[in-house]
Parts: sequence; C-alpha cells; structure tokens
Amino acid sequence: MSDEVLRRGLGLRSVVSTSTGLAFAAIEYLAAASLLAYVSGSLAWVSILVAGGMALLAWGFFSELNGLFPTAAAIRLYMQRSFDDRVALTVTFSYLTTVVLVLAADAYIVGAAFTHVTGLPGWVTGLVIAVLLGVAMAANLRGVQLAARVQDIATLTVVVATIVVAGVALSKHRTPAAIAADAHRHHGAAAFVQAVALGVLLYSAFEWVTTSSEEVRRLRDVPRGMVIALGVLALTCAAVAAAMGRLLSQTELDSAYPQLFLGRHAMGQAGYVLMCGITLVTAINTFNSGFITASRFVYATAREGSLPRGFARLNDNAVPWLPVVVIGGVALAASLLVAVTDGWKVLVATGAALEAGIYAVAAFCVLRLRRRQPDEERPFRVPAARVLGWVGVVVFGLLAAAASVSVDDKTNAVPLLIIVLVAGAAAAYVLVGLPRVRAAEAARRAAQGPRRRRPAPPTVASQEAAPTASKETA
Amino acid sequence: MATREEIREALEDYRERCNGNARLRKMLRSWTRTCDFRVLDADAGDPVAFTVTITNGEITDVSDGPHADPDLVISATSEDMCDMFWGDLNPAAKYLSGEIKVVGSQQDVLRVDAMAAVIWAD
Repeated sequence: MSDEVLRRGLGLRSVVSTSTGLAFAAIEYLAAASLLAYVSGSLAWVSILVAGGMALLAWGFFSELNGLFPTAAAIRLYMQRSFDDRVALTVTFSYLTTVVLVLAADAYIVGAAFTHVTGLPGWVTGLVIAVLLGVAMAANLRGVQLAARVQDIATLTVVVATIVVAGVALSKHRTPAAIAADAHRHHGAAAFVQAVALGVLLYSAFEWVTTSSEEVRRLRDVPRGMVIALGVLALTCAAVAAAMGRLLSQTELDSAYPQLFLGRHAMGQAGYVLMCGITLVTAINTFNSGFITASRFVYATAREGSLPRGFARLNDNAVPWLPVVVIGGVALAASLLVAVTDGWKVLVATGAALEAGIYAVAAFCVLRLRRRQPDEERPFRVPAARVLGWVGVVVFGLLAAAASVSVDDKTNAVPLLIIVLVAGAAAAYVLVGLPRVRAAEAARRAAQGPRRRRPAPPTVASQEAAPTASKETA
Repeated sequence: MATREEIREALEDYRERCNGNARLRKMLRSWTRTCDFRVLDADAGDPVAFTVTITNGEITDVSDGPHADPDLVISATSEDMCDMFWGDLNPAAKYLSGEIKVVGSQQDVLRVDAMAAVIWAD
C-alpha cells in the first residue's frame, strides 16, 4: 500500500497485466464472435468501444471504492456497509458465480478446441474438460501457482499474439462467407444495446485486481493500472471482433473456437496452431487466477464465520481444499452441461448479465457510501457522483436485463433463470443456513472461554508501594 | 489498552504454540518471511511494533521495533493484537470488517491466518 515499503511490492506493470489477465479469458473470443450476431462486422468495434466507455464508468466506481477500502476484503466491506449484511452476502456469492462461469467456459472451450483439432469424436470433449479441471484442481491443491512474472509474460504473449493475428486478418480482403453472414444481421437500436451488453463481458473481471491493493507499492497504481488494462482490452477485443467479422463465416462464428478459424484465415496453418497455443495459455492463466481468487474468497468468508467451518480447513500445503474441490466440481458440472447441450452462448449471456448487474451494484455502493460515510478519505472520487452514480445504476441495470433475456439474437430467458436460481440459492442460504452457522460458531467460541492471561489487578499493598518504588528508582 | 509487556507475553506464547505445532510447521515448511506487527493505539511518542522472523515455517526471532523492509505488515489495536495472539478473537472476521489491517501478498496473508487457524483449531 502507498505508505508501506514492502520487499515484494507489485508495480504498475504487474497491476496492468493482472487486470488484463483476469479479464482476458478464452471466453473473450466467443463473446467477440457472439457480438457479431447483433451488429455488422464493420461496426462491431463501435459497440466494443461503447462498452469500453461503460467499463470506464465502472472503473470510476471501483476506483473510488478501492481507495475507500484498499484491501482484499474490499468487496465484502463496501457491500456490507452499503446494504444489510444478508443482502451483501447474497450479492457477493452471486458475484463469485461469474468466476466459476468463466472457469467452466474456458474448460469447455479448450476441450471443444482439442476435439476439433484432433478430429476425435465429440464425447472426448467431456473427457478433456474433466482432465483439464482435474489437473487445475490438483495443481492448486498442491499449492502450485504461476509466479507473478510468469503471469505477466503469459498475458503479454496472449495479447500481442491476438493483436498480431487480428492485424494480419484486417489486412485481408473480406471473404464471401463473411459478407453473406453480415447480410443476415439485424441493424436496429435494440440489437446494438444487446451488442453493448455482450461487450461489457469483454472487460469483466478487470476490477478483481483491486483485491491486490495490499501488495502494490503505490495505491494509485491500482486505478492507473485498471484504466490501462481497459485500453488494452478495448484495442484487442475491437481488433478481434472486426477481424472475425471480416473473414469468418456464420458457421465459424457459431463454433466454440472461432479464434482458431481466425488464425487459419489470417496466417494459414501457422496461425491455426498459434491460436491453439494461445487458447491453452489463456485457459491456464484463467485456471490459475480463477481458482485462487474464488477459493481464497470462500476461505475468508468461512473463517469469518459466514460459511460452514469445513470451508476454512487447510491441507498440508496451506490450501483451503474444500473450496477448491467445490469450485472445481461446480465448474466441471457447468462445463459438462454446456458440452452436452452445446449451450455456450447461454453461458456468455449469463456472464454478461451478471457482470453488468455487479457494475450497477458498484454504482449504487458509491452513492450509498457517499451518504453514509461522507467524511471518509477518498484518494479517488468519481466526478459528479450523484449523476454518474445513478447513470451507472440505470444503464448497467438495463444492460443486465437486456443480456439476461437474449441469446444469439433471440429472446431466451434461460440466463435470467440461471441468475434467479443462483441468487435464490444464495439468499436461501443467507436466510436459513447462515443463522445456524453463526450460532454454532458463537457457541463454539463461548465454550472455549477466554484464553488470555490478564495481569493481576494491582493490590492495595502494591499501590501503596508504587510511589516509594518510583522514588527509589529516581 | 494492553501494554507492550502484555503483547510481548502473548506473542511469546504464540511463538511457542506455533513452533510446537508439527502440522503447522509442515504446512509452512518452505515459507520464510519477515512480518511486522504494529500497534495502532500506542502513545504517539512510544510506537509499539514487533518484528517476527519466520524461517521455513518456524518463528525464529521476535524483536522489538518495526523492520525497515518487511514482507508483511499487520496493524491492530493493542487489545485486538493481544486477543489475536491468545486466540480469543477471530482474526479473519476482524480483517474482513477492516479492524485489523494487513499489507502484503494475499498468499502471505493466508499463511499468517493459517497459523492462527491451525494452532487454535478444535
């Protein structure tokens, strides 16, 4: 943090790469391709930049909240102080779902890409997903994690390779298949709003870097790093979407691995192989940060006494094993479900709706805390917060609503149903399970009694002797 | 407000429990860090801080005063600091409520919390 000198402090470069790396999962390619169902290929970049503008608004909210609570516990703190604790926990658990969804999506994308590349039958996808998530879980349980420098390099490699492939693709003439696909697209205002809603997903999770506030050398590097990351994401995703719209057929855009086709169209077999490698690196990056972020959050919540104590048990590698296994299990189930139903577009829409919803909540937290804690020091303040805060609540609320009822340019309430189920399960736990968990924890602590040895209260004799003793010392 | 001596006594007891816990030593076997514990409510002219050196999971040194270049800084009131070392409060709950402040990497924060979680487990 700003005024502490830490031996292992993170600099601006690490903040940028962490923020970019958290946002840039393999699902980015699918979200960029999905967006082309709503807008013309040559205008896709506009919706991505508009979504970037929205993300910039969210950046303002997260920067103010991060300055107010520069800690890994910030999400818990600002939600707790803005809402009733039960509402705060329900929202926080729902927020966590986006991480699990991204893990599931990346596992599915790599599994599907592997089956496509090797030409093996479709059922192998499920096997690959299980192996991938199994290996990721095992590595996490053994305490293996990518060093910050390796993550920096991985993120840089992914971004540079993607921009190069997209740049080469943009230099090519439009393919007849891409022109034909473009002709079937809607070009209305409603379709554009849907495209912006999906565009928001491209930036999702950039804000998770705020959980590293306690390890950065200068606190101001967090908002700076996030805004640079948003710029990198905007450039990369806009280039990818424009390139896909220029070269890919509708069938290729509808696949679970459009980035492989983009690589092939741009650079032949070498581009195809390159994008296979990049997809794998992206997924490894996502598995590494996703498992750590989500499992440590669950662990901290359990240690606080808001989840059963089993979630706070550590294995011999100091890893909270139950959160890792549960998160991996849920991601595996979601991923296999997507593989069986081929419903990855539902996953994309659900992620977009959840993320936009979280941005609306962040805007509301800024407004609420300006009223509840007006005098608290804020290193970063959203300008015209009363106006921009409500703009954020309304705009992100509408984007969340739009994304939750549309899949692939068709009205589909499945994403909304998933979100209602997730939020309902979280609320049910908070209302029914949580009071029991907290009562059990309170009873356990009460049964232990105090352990602290307190100094004996001064006796009359010692009080009388004290002035004499000090005189003697003097 | 707990005195420097009370915190020191609590810290020495904590050190003994940590070093005597075989499971914790195994868990933190390759963990070597310098942690600063800073008291927030000490008198202005008499800042209270302790530097705890952990070498391969063993607390090898506890010294008075802050470290110039620590890996981890933990700040709390003297009462919370004492209760934390005695295992009378839940450090994670205090951390999540913002009453205990920690500066350092998340992995190090988890390990410091693990020390309390393991030695005070049921």
